[in-house]
Amino acid sequence: MIHDSLIRERLVTGGKTASDVTRDIARPILNKPSTAWKVGFTLSVIFLGIFVVSLFWTLWTGIGTWNINKSVMWGWDITNFVFWVGIGHAGTLISAILLLFRQKWRMSINRSAEAMTIFAVICAAMFPVFHMGRVWVGYWALPLPNAFGSLWVNFNSPLLWDVFAISTYFSVSLLFWYIGLIPDIATIRDKVKTKAAQYWYRFFSMGWTGSTRTWARYELISLILAGLSTPLVLSVHTIVSTDFATSVIPGWHTTIFPPYFVAGAIFSGFGMVATLLVVARKVMNYENYITIGHLEAMCKIIMLTGTLVGIAYLTEFFIAQYSGVEYEQYAFLNRASGPYWWAYWSMMFCNLVSPQVFWFKWARTTPWFIFIMSIVVNVGMWFERFVIIVTSLHRDYLPSSWVMYAGSLTEIGLFLGTFGIFFTCFFLFAKFLPVINMSEIKTILRNRE
Amino acid sequence: MGIIDNNLSLRDRNRMLVGIWEDEDKLVEATSELVHAGVKIQDVYTPYPVHGLDRIMGVRRSWLSIVAFMCGATGFSLAFWMIYYMYVQDWPLDVGNKPVRFSPSWVPVLFEATVLCTAFGMGFFFFLRNRMIWGIKPELLDDRQTDDRMVIAVETGEGVDEKKVLQIMKDHGAVELRERIGGVQTTI
Repeated sequence: MIHDSLIRERLVTGGKTASDVTRDIARPILNKPSTAWKVGFTLSVIFLGIFVVSLFWTLWTGIGTWNINKSVMWGWDITNFVFWVGIGHAGTLISAILLLFRQKWRMSINRSAEAMTIFAVICAAMFPVFHMGRVWVGYWALPLPNAFGSLWVNFNSPLLWDVFAISTYFSVSLLFWYIGLIPDIATIRDKVKTKAAQYWYRFFSMGWTGSTRTWARYELISLILAGLSTPLVLSVHTIVSTDFATSVIPGWHTTIFPPYFVAGAIFSGFGMVATLLVVARKVMNYENYITIGHLEAMCKIIMLTGTLVGIAYLTEFFIAQYSGVEYEQYAFLNRASGPYWWAYWSMMFCNLVSPQVFWFKWARTTPWFIFIMSIVVNVGMWFERFVIIVTSLHRDYLPSSWVMYAGSLTEIGLFLGTFGIFFTCFFLFAKFLPVINMSEIKTILRNRE
Repeated sequence: MGIIDNNLSLRDRNRMLVGIWEDEDKLVEATSELVHAGVKIQDVYTPYPVHGLDRIMGVRRSWLSIVAFMCGATGFSLAFWMIYYMYVQDWPLDVGNKPVRFSPSWVPVLFEATVLCTAFGMGFFFFLRNRMIWGIKPELLDDRQTDDRMVIAVETGEGVDEKKVLQIMKDHGAVELRERIGGVQTTI
């Protein structure tokens, strides 16, 4: 039996029918690009240009164009790597973990969040790859026999685990995203008018007709892929955290890192999802699909994960003092009161203190405020990685190795440039593919309980 | 039964009766009624998954989960063999005197390889079974079946009471009834 739920708010408002959903969501694809899209895309391409120039300079001159040095050998590059990988995690959380938990509000946002995952991982990959310096021998990171004998890769090294984890994560996310897109590509295929568009949408729709036999298998593969992606996403940031945790650097050598990194990743990822969707729902007129209820749900997750991360900050500080290890004690006192105190307190304010405003319903339901908060979260999470990496490294065991570090113009350019990669990809995605999962949204037009 | 599901192809179907619906509940009722009347349904096409429809139609549960397990087991074994060969047999690499033999540090690579093989192996068999490949021409019965319309296709032949089929379709809210002969449809 079907009836309207008395206690739950509708996930899609405005009394939409299935054909309304197709019309609304296919509109940006079928129409000419809007002025907002053109402006946004141009800006993104300019930033992409900054990336290209910075990268060219790095490759032409060498890693010496970065300010990393003998003590702070990881600087902005690895900070940015962890920052972008973390952002990717919200996409998988929304599409996989919330699918397993049967959270239907994810259906309006999962497509764009998954796209964000893929673009963020592309941005992340740039940093370790180019930090290698001689990027043309980057394939040495793969388990291939090398040219000088049968020396293989080191399976005890978390950096090698990272190679496997990030590449698996990227390819499985891409597969999951693409399989989810097929029914919607078919819908677009049957709507577009131009020959070229018909050809390409038909090519990628793989002959999809919406047969019940296919749908049954499709639902099963989606569920299994969600089941696979859930431990996968947890493993990826766990492994990223072991890049640090398996070392002997004070401030890094802690067992709290895996859960703390995973919580931080989800926190920062939701920050980015909120940034994108608050704007997208307004510009693309998707307010009936991405409702205030969706934003509120995201804010609750931001508050929860922000608080978890905050508790981790306090725990690691306490444990360092309680451990009796003077190097650990110093590392944390130095973070809070040393030369990088401003980074530490920015991190504390942005990640632990500021998300607490989401206890108030007004804060969770006001889009412009959520947008500002989402930027604050992103800034805070960047600072978190900066604090972990730079403050631990700039005070080495030997005081003669103590140095200061600040990003060079090239490093700043590379970081700003990855925003260019990210947003260029996102704008192209918003123009050529449906930003909201039409076939899933059509199943929840009526509240069914 | 081969790996490719030949039920999905409409190419060799001579004559079919096609009913179009706009309401999901009426479609489910009609399908159920047709199945009860002993009519063999070729397929039901919907723009979104209608839960329970596959069970009404008697579509068997897919073997995909077993395939997934086998692909995962293959991935795990291959990765284990790879690490064992490279790291124990061919060139044991001593870094900081850490163990090379079966240490927990193998787990991340084993895990990732298992997930990778499961996902892509399962994806491969999913596409194969559903006759899905890049560039293949879709066999549509209605140009809005991926938008908001739903289609039931019934194959005619000996022992199929066509009048009864059409009556059931009409009684259960079909907005349009068609006859499909050799790929050409005409409204009844």
